[in-house]
Amino acid sequence: MMRSDSSKHSSSSEPEGAEVVYLKDNVTIHPTQFASERISGRLKLIKQGASLFMTWIPYKGQATNARLSEKDRSLYTIRAVPFTDVRSIRRHTPTLGWQYIIVVLSSGLAFPPFYFYNGGVKEFLATMKQHVFIVRSLEDANVFVVNDFQNPVQFDKLTLVWGKARQPPLGSEEWATFLDSEGRVMDSKALRKRIFYGGVEHVFRREVWALLLGYHAYDSTYAERECLRYHKKLEYETIKRKWQQGISPEQAKIFPNFREMKGLIDKDVVRTDRSLSFYDGDDNPNLNVLCDILSTYCFYNFDLGYCQGMSDLLSPILFVMEDESESFWCFVALMKRLGPNFNRDQSGMRSQLFALSKLVELLDSPLHNYFKQNDCLNYFFCFRWILIQFKREFEYEKLMRLWEVLWTHYLSEHMHLYACVAILKRYHNEIMGEQMDFDTLLKFINELSGHIDLDAVLRDAEALCIFAGENGAASIPPGTPPSLPVENENSLLYSQVSTR
Amino acid sequence: MTGSSSKGGNNSYDYSFKILLIGDSGVGKSSILLSFISNSVHDLSPTVGVDFKIKMVNVGGKRLKLTIWDTAGQERFGTLMSSYYRGAHGIILVYDVTRRETFTNLSDIWAKEVELYSTNQDCIKVLIGNKVDKDSERAVSREEGMALAEEHKCSFLECSAKTRENVLQCFKELIVKILEVPSLLEKGPVIIKQQILKQKPGYQAPHNGGCCS
Repeated sequence: MMRSDSSKHSSSSEPEGAEVVYLKDNVTIHPTQFASERISGRLKLIKQGASLFMTWIPYKGQATNARLSEKDRSLYTIRAVPFTDVRSIRRHTPTLGWQYIIVVLSSGLAFPPFYFYNGGVKEFLATMKQHVFIVRSLEDANVFVVNDFQNPVQFDKLTLVWGKARQPPLGSEEWATFLDSEGRVMDSKALRKRIFYGGVEHVFRREVWALLLGYHAYDSTYAERECLRYHKKLEYETIKRKWQQGISPEQAKIFPNFREMKGLIDKDVVRTDRSLSFYDGDDNPNLNVLCDILSTYCFYNFDLGYCQGMSDLLSPILFVMEDESESFWCFVALMKRLGPNFNRDQSGMRSQLFALSKLVELLDSPLHNYFKQNDCLNYFFCFRWILIQFKREFEYEKLMRLWEVLWTHYLSEHMHLYACVAILKRYHNEIMGEQMDFDTLLKFINELSGHIDLDAVLRDAEALCIFAGENGAASIPPGTPPSLPVENENSLLYSQVSTR
Repeated sequence: MTGSSSKGGNNSYDYSFKILLIGDSGVGKSSILLSFISNSVHDLSPTVGVDFKIKMVNVGGKRLKLTIWDTAGQERFGTLMSSYYRGAHGIILVYDVTRRETFTNLSDIWAKEVELYSTNQDCIKVLIGNKVDKDSERAVSREEGMALAEEHKCSFLECSAKTRENVLQCFKELIVKILEVPSLLEKGPVIIKQQILKQKPGYQAPHNGGCCS
């Protein structure tokens, strides 16, 4: 067994039982056309048990230029990609210039080309052959297909796009740079972009979620937000008092189902996230707060009323906001976007499932055809993902990260649909290889809960969204939820308030 | 990283039955299922969408594969859930003995859904009153349950998913009834045939050191 010497170049050492079977220095990527911005590193193939992994770690302290920070460089680091995730490797051997390879993952995404400054492509492929099953593509002798037994020649016109690695969450110092002295967000697009790539540290979620959801306007000042909070609290309490004091006969005429809905809410609240310390134990006061907010919402928007799944959507909001009225108004803002998920005629869900089928058709046509042949085009197996924004699929901290990323509406309002495609693409081989029928697929998808790699999904979703471009946007019919909340409604509200 | 696979274990069986659990939200459909499948009972989140569990059982000398479908209880999801009724051999209608409205909704809503969506004419139904462990809060009498069952020509049992009292019997009652109906049994072997077809080797097992030049 051989252990890598990590003193100078590489920042990582191999875990116990891992064997480096291939190592090449000066393997370089060219992120831009500028020679000064190339990043060199060490490429390794590592065998652990029966699995083969690839790593590429850029060298530290390549102070060749100031434009590429350490952070940029680490974006491209490949820590350990198992070859089970690799679909194919394409070899390029130009007569002039360096040889390079392009590694395409089974999700359809690719890493940037690796240029072998010191040669070694042949040796790389030969080593790989010893450890994983590869076949040469019939269409292109330079393409080596890995682990693909169904479609050995499926390699097609893949455009090389890859999602950026995630950044650390937005912290206090950086958050301050987005605000002017009075608390306005100076560049909301830049803020949304920043959050899209890394989320927010938990302590700032309270402030940031209210902005992302559109409860507070980005250009509001600290004072204006405080003022809105005050007035909204009074408004909330007024609405809450109405149903608490009992429904008048007139109201009962408009809303005959309130008692029934209230019963449903009571039933669901005691079954929502009870394993979390924030909601556990008997007589936990937070359960009463959940219950009051949902009942008030039900009264506030009785066209929609209460529907199962809403308690899942409210739970993290209350956990973050830790204030009843603030949580209520953030929930109202969220429901402006997601309310159609709960429409009585299920039109909101149907249109999203339809859009999802269009996106899969565009981005993974073999999978689409498979679903078509197997009577799975209704995409009901993704129902839970969409209805409650993956709430049951991730543990709480990861879920909050996902939600704030989706809520930025950066790149697309429908990033959640691209996330669905990203997950399906990740399991493309299993779904088709095991020839899952509708029932098996439903069970498989339900049981993915807790096993989905969030960062990978976000990265793939971003890449898929970029890759799909205009065609992707055109696949999603207009009016598919979540539509953006009406702009300026809040600022209008407190311009009235603040002129008093 | 993958979800747990439903494959593996001994896959041979004489018949495969699809069973559906329906009824109002919070009556304990998921709890009855969990109690039946894993002998354990704990607090469950409200079911969103639909899920199912598989259990192999031996009844009357026959090895049976049960696919038990658990559905969301809110009526609003009905239109999407309707497709899950397709091909069901048995339907368990559940109410909560401590909440009268869950009992009345069985005739008002759920029995109608069954009539509307169930494609199997001979499909067996069982009426179940759950939560008998809360006897002091009982709001629906045993006699009322029996009368409703008679009206809809189905069997009736009371059970408690919490104490597991009568849970096994509910399923057994249903299965024995299904086994008595020849038209339902015909569907079993068909499903097995499909499964065998599907299991034919679709691809070569991966092997190391394959050649590629």
